Amino acid sequence: MTAPSALPPLLTLLVGCALVAVALAVVRLVRGPTQADRVIAQDVLFAVGVAMCVAAALVTRSTAFLDVALGLAITGFLAGIGWARLIIRAPSDENPPDAPR
Amino acid sequence: MNHALELAGQAALAAGALLLVVAAAGLHLLPDALSRQHAGTKAVTLALGLICVGAALMSQDTAWTLRLCLLLILLGVTLPISSHMLARAAVREQSLQEVAARAPVIEPDGEPGSRAGDGRDDQRADGGRTRDGSA
Repeated sequence: MTAPSALPPLLTLLVGCALVAVALAVVRLVRGPTQADRVIAQDVLFAVGVAMCVAAALVTRSTAFLDVALGLAITGFLAGIGWARLIIRAPSDENPPDAPR
Repeated sequence: MNHALELAGQAALAAGALLLVVAAAGLHLLPDALSRQHAGTKAVTLALGLICVGAALMSQDTAWTLRLCLLLILLGVTLPISSHMLARAAVREQSLQEVAARAPVIEPDGEPGSRAGDGRDDQRADGGRTRDGSA
């Protein structure tokens, strides 16, 4: 398993597109007017991480990165659910903190 | 046959990569959080599915295909759940913002003056009063 000196053009396209998507998602993560925008950007970042893992598996020709991608997909799903629940259950005027949930 | 499958895999991989950029651009082109959630979940999941199918067709190996099929199933199962939760969060924050935007319009009806400064002045006056009372 030797690291190739230059990526094949298709994988260069995949990694380049993933980096552009990361840049766009980070801008949305920083600027997002609402917290929901930031959670959506985080979801996109995790998905781009999965795509990068598939690219890494194709480059190194080993399936280890596919297991990493699987774990990353589960982590991203649970993180998105957790943050979304935090926003949905946040206390407010119409949803006081001691109300029964 | 083998070569055709690999070509199809390369095409799927390239389409997935381009769709990933389109979905990330949707985060900026769509107007509010509820519509951005569609780009952030559905389009990105389709892009990931295309990338997984492309990688499976390119590798043509059982160990790869098993893991990529597992990844596809996981993405398909989690998509509706995370999309639903994100949509609920977006709608909730939108309604909270509407409440917050409506609140100061009702208040300064009686006295004409600066709308934004009212709340701050009241807080300052309250702070001064409590400080005077405690002193």
